[in-house]
Amino acid sequence: MEKDGSLLDDYILSLLERPRPKICFLPTASGDADHYVVRFYRRFSPACEASHVSLFRRDQGTGGVEDDLAAHLLSQDLIYVGGGNMVSMLGAWRAHGLDSILRRAWRRGIVMCGPSAGSLCWFAEALSAFHGAPRAVRGLSLLPYSNCVHYDAEPARREEYHRAVADGMTAGFAVEDGVGLHFRGTKLERVVSSRPGGRAFLVQKKDGRISEACLDAEYLGAAPPAGERPPLAQALPLAGAAVAA
Amino acid sequence: MRAPGPVALEERTIFAMGGGGFTMEPANPLLDDYVLSLAQAKEPKILFLPTASGDTTPQINAFKARFSGRTCIAEHLSLFRLRETRVPLAELVAQQDILYVGGGSMRNLLAIWRAHELDAMLVGAWERGTVLAGLSAGAMCWFEWGVTRSSGPPEPIEGLGLLGGSLTVHADGEPERLPVWLAHLRDGSLPGGWALDDGVGLLFRGRSLDRVVSSRPGAEAQRVDAIAGELLRRRIKPDLLGSRATDPLGGFDEAVEEMRRVHRLRRGTGGRRS
Repeated sequence: MEKDGSLLDDYILSLLERPRPKICFLPTASGDADHYVVRFYRRFSPACEASHVSLFRRDQGTGGVEDDLAAHLLSQDLIYVGGGNMVSMLGAWRAHGLDSILRRAWRRGIVMCGPSAGSLCWFAEALSAFHGAPRAVRGLSLLPYSNCVHYDAEPARREEYHRAVADGMTAGFAVEDGVGLHFRGTKLERVVSSRPGGRAFLVQKKDGRISEACLDAEYLGAAPPAGERPPLAQALPLAGAAVAA
Repeated sequence: MRAPGPVALEERTIFAMGGGGFTMEPANPLLDDYVLSLAQAKEPKILFLPTASGDTTPQINAFKARFSGRTCIAEHLSLFRLRETRVPLAELVAQQDILYVGGGSMRNLLAIWRAHELDAMLVGAWERGTVLAGLSAGAMCWFEWGVTRSSGPPEPIEGLGLLGGSLTVHADGEPERLPVWLAHLRDGSLPGGWALDDGVGLLFRGRSLDRVVSSRPGAEAQRVDAIAGELLRRRIKPDLLGSRATDPLGGFDEAVEEMRRVHRLRRGTGGRRS
């Protein structure tokens, strides 16, 4: 749904077996930003039964799902969590009971995905740099690892993540923008990318030292013609789409 | 910067509006000017918290439009949008003279504050004498209880409890809250409290109601208590801001300054501000 992210969206849709899958968007981490919701429908409503849940406009009946959140979410084929602030998102989710609904949805085999905060939230721990020094924050713990996104986009991220893991954060995955981690159960099955050369890294502490192993991502598009560079400069950050089926 | 330690209870200030201010009254600055007048600083630092709306752009723009031309240093705090500045939250909150909380979902507001540990920071700010102001969800949050539509139909919700009793808002603009509130008062599941029309604000010094003001003629507050299952309703006629007959502010800067001086003298705290 992000710019330059349509290959990842296509990949996610390819995981769904139904012809017109049910897909629900949770834009909580953006504060239910209208433009994000519009972008979601523009991208997904042609091929899917698309819906969204707004936790901020539940009194206004603005087209989001109003009634039984659990029944609606548990009937989906895919739950797509938007980017933004993970701590705010988890706070709002807990207040509406969404954290436990999402755990149930995952156990039922519903595909869960999302960029940025929509990736971090599935892991046990995440590196969050927001209003202060970067710190470890707890996620939903469906995946027993840590996660760090925008690994190439923000220069200090690598050092911060290494330090966090050295200081005791769970070992985990650092992901460049445009790269997605596809998990089945808790096992990493594939690393895919909407950009040629996209990478992810497994970062862990070994014998008291930080080791960083590069995981080359499979480029999801056709190889670009020789001499032509991919339009990286115009790309909006899309990072770490965690996919668990 | 505020005084580092707690101030006396009667110097702790909360201004709770049933509706009104820059998000609801773009052409009427009376309540917002009153909020500024509550700070002791000549040029108060005011921080807007649009959390309850999900930090919507219209709320943030309305805040800037209202306060950017006034004698204050106005900033907003987004808990959703990443920003370049990495000022720790506690530091940002401690620097303010006024914290102004916008309307929206009270359930989300409190949950998100808790997730960022901002609830404790706000209580600390109140104890240090920072003025806490807000409308709708941003007004009810300071009380023991409010009535929210965060999940659709109106229902009681627990607030931070700095002020005793319950508050319900938009008594004239969203009348469906009022019967829910009254039913809970009657059966004793909510403590007595106030219902505020849009445009009406309650000023608390410590935990005592000090003044009731309004930006609109005809707007009212009411205090309701249940006594043995019967509701005792008392109407309170607010002081209409901006009319010189009832209000020393009169909407003029000189009058604002005069009032601040009087407040400082009366409470003997003239030297507290840096």
